[in-house]
Amino acid sequence: MKILVNDKELEVSGERVLIEELRDAGYVIPSLCYAHDAKHEPSCMVCMVRNEANNQMIPSCSTYPTEGMRIDVESDDVKALRRMGLELLLSDHRADCEAPCTVVCPSGIDVAQVLLYIDRKQMDEAFSLLSSAVDVEHLPCTDCKAMCEKACRRGTVDKCVDIRQLLIDLSEQKGLKKVDVTSKAVLDKSSFSSKLGRYNDKEKEWLREEYSQPSHCLHCACEGKAKCKLRECATSAQIKSPRHGVSSHLPVKQQVHVNGRLYFEPAKCIRCGLCVYNTKDSFTFMHRGFDMQVVVIEENKKDIDEKVADLCPTGALFVR
Amino acid sequence: MRKDDVNIKEANGCSGCGCVSPDDAVQVVWRKTDAIIDRIGTGRELIISLLQAIQKEFNYLPSDALNRIYERTDIDRAQLISVATFYSQLRMVPYGKHIIKVCIGTACHVKGANNVYDALRRELQLEGDDITSADGKYSIEKVACLGCCALAPVVQIDQKIFGHVMPGRVREVLDEFESMVASQEQEDSAYDDSKIQGEVRLGMENCCQASGTAEVYSAVVEACKELGIHIRIKPVSCVGTCNQVPLIDVATLDGKIVRYPNIRPDEVKEVLLHHFRPASRLRRLRNAMLNHIDTFHTDQTWDNILFTPEKERTQSINTFLGGQFRISTEGYGHLNPLDLDEYISQGGFEALEKTVKEMSPRQVIDEVLKSGIRGRGGGGFPTGRKWQLVSDSKGNPIVICNGDEGDPGAFMDRILLESYPLRVIEGMIIAGYAVGASEGVFYIRAEYPQAVIRIRKALDMCRQKGLLGTNIFGTDFSFDIRVFEGAGAFVCGEETALIASMEGKRGFPHLRPPYPAQKGFNGRPTLINNVETLSQIAYIIRHGADEYAKVGTEGSRGTKVFALAGKVNHGGLIEVPMGTTLRQIVENIGGGVEGGEALKAVQIGGPSGGCIPAELCDAEVDFDALNKMGSIMGSGGLVVLSESSCMVDVARYFTNFTCAESCGKCTFCRVGIRRMLDILDRLTTGQAKADDINRLEELALSIKRSALCGLGKTAPNPVLSTLRYFRDEYEEHMHGICRTGSCKQMVKLEITDDCVGCTKCSRSCPSEAIAYTPYEKHVIDTDKCTQCGLCIGECDYNAIKKVKK
Repeated sequence: MKILVNDKELEVSGERVLIEELRDAGYVIPSLCYAHDAKHEPSCMVCMVRNEANNQMIPSCSTYPTEGMRIDVESDDVKALRRMGLELLLSDHRADCEAPCTVVCPSGIDVAQVLLYIDRKQMDEAFSLLSSAVDVEHLPCTDCKAMCEKACRRGTVDKCVDIRQLLIDLSEQKGLKKVDVTSKAVLDKSSFSSKLGRYNDKEKEWLREEYSQPSHCLHCACEGKAKCKLRECATSAQIKSPRHGVSSHLPVKQQVHVNGRLYFEPAKCIRCGLCVYNTKDSFTFMHRGFDMQVVVIEENKKDIDEKVADLCPTGALFVR
Repeated sequence: MRKDDVNIKEANGCSGCGCVSPDDAVQVVWRKTDAIIDRIGTGRELIISLLQAIQKEFNYLPSDALNRIYERTDIDRAQLISVATFYSQLRMVPYGKHIIKVCIGTACHVKGANNVYDALRRELQLEGDDITSADGKYSIEKVACLGCCALAPVVQIDQKIFGHVMPGRVREVLDEFESMVASQEQEDSAYDDSKIQGEVRLGMENCCQASGTAEVYSAVVEACKELGIHIRIKPVSCVGTCNQVPLIDVATLDGKIVRYPNIRPDEVKEVLLHHFRPASRLRRLRNAMLNHIDTFHTDQTWDNILFTPEKERTQSINTFLGGQFRISTEGYGHLNPLDLDEYISQGGFEALEKTVKEMSPRQVIDEVLKSGIRGRGGGGFPTGRKWQLVSDSKGNPIVICNGDEGDPGAFMDRILLESYPLRVIEGMIIAGYAVGASEGVFYIRAEYPQAVIRIRKALDMCRQKGLLGTNIFGTDFSFDIRVFEGAGAFVCGEETALIASMEGKRGFPHLRPPYPAQKGFNGRPTLINNVETLSQIAYIIRHGADEYAKVGTEGSRGTKVFALAGKVNHGGLIEVPMGTTLRQIVENIGGGVEGGEALKAVQIGGPSGGCIPAELCDAEVDFDALNKMGSIMGSGGLVVLSESSCMVDVARYFTNFTCAESCGKCTFCRVGIRRMLDILDRLTTGQAKADDINRLEELALSIKRSALCGLGKTAPNPVLSTLRYFRDEYEEHMHGICRTGSCKQMVKLEITDDCVGCTKCSRSCPSEAIAYTPYEKHVIDTDKCTQCGLCIGECDYNAIKKVKK
């Protein structure tokens, strides 16, 4: 069967969904809720293309080519609608891609990751990461205006993390070995960066109790950002900041320990349902409409395979 | 058997010492749950029926019962959470003894349902998010639409419906309900059927009952007993003149029918005496005397109903009924909904007999195609083509009647199901024959219990008569129908979501293609037709496609049933030929706009439709004309809006509805509608931002193109149509002005110098916002005022005004 794609003929079998055919033909189609060889239902609508034959927008992840189709893959019209879809998802995504402290550090230290190592007592790793960015003998922090502390989200909750002191203490600690670490956030300023916005009073109260590690750090940086398709799509759609006011019914920053190294953070979920459709009796949808969320079934947590994190298009399901 | 496990446990439990262990309560729940499971089954697809039965038993879904379900059926936790939290009918927390449902359908909304809700909450002293009163007696909730739009605002307490409820009189409603509960045990005594002198007919639909027909009914029974009159009291199908009820027709043996609209229970006796002679002479004498005394003791005979000339009495009804053309509602007002013999004597099931005996399925489909009938559910897809698609598909087809009428402001399907169940059933059997199916399902929404009861009874009668079952009319065609009750989700009116819910899943629509006609319920070819569509089929077969096609317009044949409500003098159920103009409907049939106000717009098609401005109301109504005007036929709710209706508020109302009813599957509907609502919230509270109107329009247009299913694609219509025709009102709201005063946060109530200090407003105020200061100009405390508007109605000096805040 032949269909028209951007006015060029494309030979298709009719057995495979459009997105596969188009991607094989070299077109770049963003998508979130679709994963090759996994069960899925069209929901994110980020892979939309337009069928010029009837002027309908169709999700290419779930539509099979039919005779007479004339597909418009990347006109401005199509791109604008996809972009709108992404913006809507981001307006319901109260989460930080990067920690503010890392973003503002003038010396390029991955502050968030260093603090994470410190809180996990991985002092060698913390030291090595710090020294990969700056000369620990002459730590710039002593004379710094402490942008990191001003940006620190903990500061909006009660008191900001004493970042400089923690780093100075680290640099002065004796007997630490250099180990091989690479910063997970090779900061790319051109990438889209989701921002959480303000905490409300109830959230602040909860955070004060929940985050009481020695450093008091809230660990804002997303642990699943490396594999986040949402961020990737937002970056290529050149979204800078969300256009719609951000609000969500999802519990912000709450992380559910699923099992082993697997964690689930509902606030980052875009409700694509890949985890629901590809596991049995483990994840499920709850409520409907804007309130709809994915929940883990408490009784069956232990049976969930870590690999499900690879399916998740955001940092909602991640391996620590 | 797991059931034995319980018995073993019971046997081992502490039964000897006589103490009540907490386990006993669990045992009771298990036993009851087991009985339900045994009755209904253990399949995953039965989950909704199981949960409905459990909720009926326990008033909510207790966790012990749910654990039992995991143990004994194929249903797992994931499915249960997914389904139980999707459907609004199902609840995990116990409710009070009686449930108060406040209808917030379109008609009720424009008539102030939210004030009624607030007033009831105040009366029950509910605070914060509470929904159950402290004494556990009442729980209160808002429901999308009870389908009694002509009696708005409407409140339902348990099974009893109250119409025209005013915020200041909610206590009376509760009192009336309580006295009704107390006197529940009163029984109707049977009486001699032999010397029948005539018949009194009265509608007993939801809406008629809501306006007091039940009281009239008992008054008739009482009066007959007291006066010794032998007549048949016959509950009949809806006349459609919901604004004129309670209404009774008195038919005497000589065939004369006299109609009494708006009758009061205390007038019943008079009317009966006028028509019927009491059986014995002694009784007659006594009655004459008693009647005479009554006349002295009351002044009711002065404007007594009998002294009003017949013409004056029924004029508004006759104009209401004129101009209508009856196909779906044929036999209105005299057909007993559940009298099979009567239906047959009037030509019922002739069409079915002709179909199965004389026609091939192909011929039936051709006839329906030729008639040009289009689906009445909303989209207007040609019915014949749909039948053909199903009949051409491979597999074992099934026929579903879509009775999940969820549009606020629409009640056509309810009345058709309640009043003309047999006609719908006949249409459905014919459809089954045409597509080669042997199985049919009525999908009826949870909010219509009466319709479910009537349909079940009607199905039983048809089965007994051999009209359903094997070898219908002696042919080898067999067909049977069952009922599936929806559980409260508007989206299930969308056919793919309806199928999902029948399969025991949450009501997520499915991407089409594949269409249900090819791959629907359990992968079978599935014909889904709307109630109204099916109710027109028998007419087409009986009178022929050509006769049917004579009615209506070129592109839209036949008649359309509309639910006329809102700010109109005579609301009700109407059936008019396609092509009738909206103005004809509002002016001629509806008797004009309520209170003599000017017509502003007609909202048609519910949350998927749009507002047609008054200047376009002369256009002929059919599928295509409405599409051009930015609306859709929808299922046919017509809500009349007057000058005092705020169009931004109407748009917000519908967007709020679709936001709550969105299934949540696709991004544009789940988040997009929420963002539209955010903007509308800002507009109606005077907090709009500079670019809000353009942004709203951009969102609406994007959602219309990109949402996955019909609900999402049409959800922006109310916003888009009001933006198109009433953009000036949006702009006023940008500047904090609501000209009608409907947007509460933008106005406040103020008492002008016309006030004489009569204290009427102070006494009527339910929130004590007006101090009791006789002979002084009253002042409204804006902080306490809830703007229910009661005082405005009370004030005789027109001294209370809504002004800009």
